[in-house]
Amino acid sequence: MKDVESLWDLFQRRNVSRRNFLKTCVTITGILGLSPSLISDVVSAAEKQPLVPVIWLHGHECTGCDEAFIRSQSPFASDVLLNMISMEYMDVLAAAAGEPLEHHLQEVMKKYNGKYLLAVEGAVPLNDDGIHCMVGGKTFVHNLKEVAKGAAAIIEVGSCAAWGGIQAAKPNPTKSVSVSDVVSGKTIIKVPGCPPIPEVITGVIMHYTLYGQIPPLDSKGRPKQFFGNRIHDTCYRRPFFDSGMFVEKFDDAASKAGWCLYKVGCRGPETYNSCGNMRWWNGLSYPIQSGAPCIGCSANNFWDNDPFYNRMPNIPVPNAIVNADQVGIVAAGALTAGVVIHGALSTIQHKRHHKETHETENDNE
Amino acid sequence: MKVRTVAVYYVFTIWTRIFHWLMVGAIAVLFCTGLYIGNPFYIGSQGVEPTFAVSNWASMSTIRFIHFAAAYILMASFIFRVYGFILHRGDRMLPKPWTKLFWTGMLDMGLHYSFLRSEHRPYLRNSMARAGYGGVYGMIFLEAFTGFAMYGQIDPNSWLSKIFGPLNHLLVDEYIVHMIHHYVAWMIILFVIIHVYMATRADMSEKYGEISAMFSGVKFYDKEPDDIGDLKK
Ligand code: HEM
Ligand code: HEM
Ligand code: SF4
Ligand code: SF4
Repeated sequence: MKDVESLWDLFQRRNVSRRNFLKTCVTITGILGLSPSLISDVVSAAEKQPLVPVIWLHGHECTGCDEAFIRSQSPFASDVLLNMISMEYMDVLAAAAGEPLEHHLQEVMKKYNGKYLLAVEGAVPLNDDGIHCMVGGKTFVHNLKEVAKGAAAIIEVGSCAAWGGIQAAKPNPTKSVSVSDVVSGKTIIKVPGCPPIPEVITGVIMHYTLYGQIPPLDSKGRPKQFFGNRIHDTCYRRPFFDSGMFVEKFDDAASKAGWCLYKVGCRGPETYNSCGNMRWWNGLSYPIQSGAPCIGCSANNFWDNDPFYNRMPNIPVPNAIVNADQVGIVAAGALTAGVVIHGALSTIQHKRHHKETHETENDNE
Repeated sequence: MKVRTVAVYYVFTIWTRIFHWLMVGAIAVLFCTGLYIGNPFYIGSQGVEPTFAVSNWASMSTIRFIHFAAAYILMASFIFRVYGFILHRGDRMLPKPWTKLFWTGMLDMGLHYSFLRSEHRPYLRNSMARAGYGGVYGMIFLEAFTGFAMYGQIDPNSWLSKIFGPLNHLLVDEYIVHMIHHYVAWMIILFVIIHVYMATRADMSEKYGEISAMFSGVKFYDKEPDDIGDLKK
């Protein structure tokens, strides 16, 4: 096992030029969302900061976040893996498997106790003592707690680790929860998304490796530089929203002209992510650019906010598919009819009563 | 002809009355613009042509602006309400479920409204109305909280977002906040239908001067109202 060294050491050892090293640092600065004046800080950090050992655990999930991660292009995931961190344990990418790999995990935990970065992908199922997700013959919740003990910081990669994800959607048969629901007393960074944008995953890891500290987080623990804005506020279709020009159906003229997708269910106004500015696949595109409304994949509990292609959810009414506005109009109409009838009855009663009291009053006179 | 002798009771200060009508106007605007925001469509005479849409006066952004302006007016009008509340006992007719009168009054009104009791006792404000106003204040506050929670997030680093932003996480997520805001808007409208009906009904069948009280501030009673303790000690 190699000893921890810095990025610059590594470049030198591999005979990569200083010029290339500086170019890499400039790219990193951009990806981290830092201003160009901080390039020198990044360079000096990359020269001195030792590479961080990383342990990457997989829980209740689909490995889609790995698929995203390995497609990171600036920086390349391979660069991150081979040059910028020392990935000590990641079961899906490791050459080894089985007993030897699990044994290696124990060694790494001992050797770098209190120093390693723990990335967790996937939710933690708790029902039936956690048996719905087993790794190496033990429940995932057990493994997670054990590895988390010695971690310097924890990254929740993806919506499953950050919020519970699809397995926590109603009715949540395995009682899946987020990592922060079972691990306490640790610095936890949420990197939600289903999956997160590749460059966001690598960006957060690199921020930590370069600065040795976690990036600035919002009140929910998400890095501000990637989750600080709503998609809606960075969306290039926003002028159509502001003008009141909306796609009504997926095959209408408006959808071909690229108008706003609000009425076909776009969750951009409620979703915090970098899709609008960084986009996907090295800036190639993002769902809205491809004509599909945002489904809010980085939002807590987004699976339950269906149907995704309606702006508003349906309200359960027997034998009808209706939303709040339709229910509201019917309720208001029925109520108006009700008060009119009540008013008519009240008038009748009032007149009768008036007559009676009048008569008794007359008797008294 | 029978002459009705009445005493005049000064119930609402001018501040509560100003507040009430400002609120009515603001909520009418908020509800109409809000429904548009929730389910918008192109309003314009130029034809649906992006080049000219910028000069469209009734654009989504104008209508959102009107919604937010009305929201600020609604919030500002509460200053009048609070001032009236401090100034005058009659402006403090809250629901008082810890008193016996509140519950006997509730029963009295319940029987009256279901036609089982032809006349109810005189009240400055009956228990059901009190409960209803308590409820609608609650709903307006809910609208304000959820409204500012969404509004503040336009700039997630603003102080507004620092105050109201946590609500978005408390209620699962911001999408849910939109939905609560939308549903409660409808519930306020349902309240208004009943409220306007009840006020009109009282105005027509009882001669206390119910509706005019929200303009003049005074009501007229020939018997002393049961809840007079809320006006005079
Ligand atoms: C009685 C008062 C109010 C009513 C009836 C009302 C009604 C509505 C309705 C029906 C919507 C559409 C909801 C949706 O589908 O997203 C809406 C949106 C909104 N309202 Fe209100 N509202 C009220 C007060 C307020 C207040 C006090 C604020 C505070 C600034 C506010 C801010 C907003 C915002 C930010 C939106 C979302 C706009 C957008 O997504 O573009 N509202 N309102
Ligand atoms: C958006 C619509 C409305 C809302 C939210 C609303 C709400 C309220 C509230 C909260 C109060 C209690 C005031 C207090 O003491 O704090 C009140 C009283 C009153 N409102 Fe409205 N109101 C609305 C529309 C109207 C309309 C259209 C009328 C006219 C028919 C009306 C007539 C009255 C009257 C007469 C009272 C005094 C009731 C009493 O003496 O107990 N309101 N309203
Ligand atoms: S497409 Fe979605 S994110 Fe873009 S402006 Fe429309 S509602 Fe907002
Ligand atoms: S546009 Fe929305 S649903 Fe699509 S990836 Fe981005 S956050 Fe997720």
